[in-house]
Amino acid sequence: MYVLAAETPNAEDPTGFFGVLAHAAEWFIGLFQAGADNFVGLLVGIIPLLIVLLTAVNALVRAIGIERIERFGEMAARPGIQWYPVRYLLLPVLSVFFLTNPMCYTMGRFLPEKYKPAFYDSAVSFVHPILGLFPHANPGELFVYYGIAAGITTLGLGLGDLAVRFLLVGMVVILIRGIVTELITARLLARNTRTEGALA
Amino acid sequence: MSTSVEEKSTGNAGSSGSSVLGKASSVLVRVGKAVGGVVGVLYQAGRDTIDTVIRNIIPFMAFVSVIVGIVNYTGLGNVLANFVAPLASSLIGLLAICIFCAIPILSPVLGPGAVIAQVVGVLLGTRIGAGDIPPQYALPALFAINPQVGCDFIPVGLALGEAEPETVEAGVPAVLFSRLITGPLAVVLAYFASFGLYSST
Repeated sequence: MYVLAAETPNAEDPTGFFGVLAHAAEWFIGLFQAGADNFVGLLVGIIPLLIVLLTAVNALVRAIGIERIERFGEMAARPGIQWYPVRYLLLPVLSVFFLTNPMCYTMGRFLPEKYKPAFYDSAVSFVHPILGLFPHANPGELFVYYGIAAGITTLGLGLGDLAVRFLLVGMVVILIRGIVTELITARLLARNTRTEGALA
Repeated sequence: MSTSVEEKSTGNAGSSGSSVLGKASSVLVRVGKAVGGVVGVLYQAGRDTIDTVIRNIIPFMAFVSVIVGIVNYTGLGNVLANFVAPLASSLIGLLAICIFCAIPILSPVLGPGAVIAQVVGVLLGTRIGAGDIPPQYALPALFAINPQVGCDFIPVGLALGEAEPETVEAGVPAVLFSRLITGPLAVVLAYFASFGLYSST
């Protein structure tokens, strides 16, 4: 009987001491091979699109210029219920998009003190929902979204729907978060000033 | 008098000739500057991008790959799946995860760099990929693993917004308490917003 090179040699598994060693080595390498396959998947699947997208958005942000959104900061400082969406929706979204994490929080300087914690809460809660469509805003924490999105990709489903819904729900959530935090801040500020008054 | 007119006219002719040239060259300069500006902006954007990818994204991918490799290859993933999948595939379970992460003492501890959220996200992602968790739960899960976002960073974030110390004093607990309310609320919102997501499959 001829043994062709193309045939798989059916050598017995090594046994004994060296067999155990060989198996251990194989298992050990396999452990990292699994990781390496995953890494290649991420590099090939995510990085190319990410680089092109990041470059385009970075260029756009540079072209538009940051100083133009400072106008909204001044608008957002106004009292009254009609300015809530500006303060806790428009301003956080624009600051996160243009200034990115962590510089977006500097936009809080246009607001009165009592709104600052709520604005921070609102802005910081948007640095992840934006990742699905605009990863430039927070590239260091990409995997909050991409980790879960990778599972959807594995199933062969599209990510667009998830990304858009994540963004939209995120917008609703930051508006609610801003309003709730503003109420709590107002109470705490009032209590702090009362206790200070009692002490004095 | 006539000479002066002639001089004038020749002067005008000369200046108009040179002004055509001058106009042309100024247009060229302007076009050149604009093109140069656009190219410069794009090039700088590309440089920033590659910088971010190398500094922030690829290192995290390496870290994630090591964890995912170990978790999948050792079978730890299956053990985790038995533990996490039932939690992450029901609204109640997701709310439990969310409330746990939003506890005011735990949330600043879980916050830094969103590392916990990212690792949990990757683990849930592999479970979704393996079919243990239905894909429509991806959306509420994104909010459930993340009510602690930025809780470690409140004083710094407020300082970036030039807040007074009194504001920070009130703002830190305000944000932490607010998360206990708005965190679960976000999960419920996301749960209802996930109706129709990947449901045809």
